[in-house]
Amino acid sequence: MAATFKVSYVVAGEEHPGAILNTETRPRQGDLVRLGSDDFVVEEVIELIPPRGDFYYLHATVRPPDELT
Amino acid sequence: MNPKDILTGVELFEGLQPEEINTLAEACEERVYPLNEIITQQGEVGEELFIVYDGFVEVVRAGASPENAPRTIVHLGEGQIFGEMALVDRGPRSATVKAASDEAHLLVIKRENFDRICEKNHHIGYVVMRNIAADLSFKLRHHHLTGR
Repeated sequence: MAATFKVSYVVAGEEHPGAILNTETRPRQGDLVRLGSDDFVVEEVIELIPPRGDFYYLHATVRPPDELT
Repeated sequence: MNPKDILTGVELFEGLQPEEINTLAEACEERVYPLNEIITQQGEVGEELFIVYDGFVEVVRAGASPENAPRTIVHLGEGQIFGEMALVDRGPRSATVKAASDEAHLLVIKRENFDRICEKNHHIGYVVMRNIAADLSFKLRHHHLTGR
């Protein structure tokens, strides 16, 4: 089985609950991600806990795109 | 995509053999909820475990007192589960969950089917319960990081 990345997305700088979802590719700084109905830009990605089997557990900090312009 | 293919990519079933995943897939029902439709209601008795395989759901908790507005705790997307607390402790639903994308596609396992499978095959029971504990731990870590 291919790797699965379980990501805890936390939105910086605004009142937003964030999201948890699986992705097939590791998110990277600068990536655009859709959480619910909103788009965000990935600022930072760290490993939250060690991988288990084919699953990798990551924490990503994201910001609304307009905050970066 | 058939239920088995979906379950293979869900952490809840990590560590199971293909034939064990098949057994669980056969017990799953597919449901689709339109945007904002309520899937589970806080306080109600829960008899089902849900797996998101496409779209998003929003987890909302009512305030402790009537004057406190409901608060969104988290959005859950592909591969995530909810309803597991009521499945394990048989308590009331701890939150209201509603569809948060145009459509939320879910797989649903009823508790009676889940219990029957776990009783019959203790390896499935052990692996799934361990993965439920790991998922609850991950959600707690996310909660700590968001400060909500």
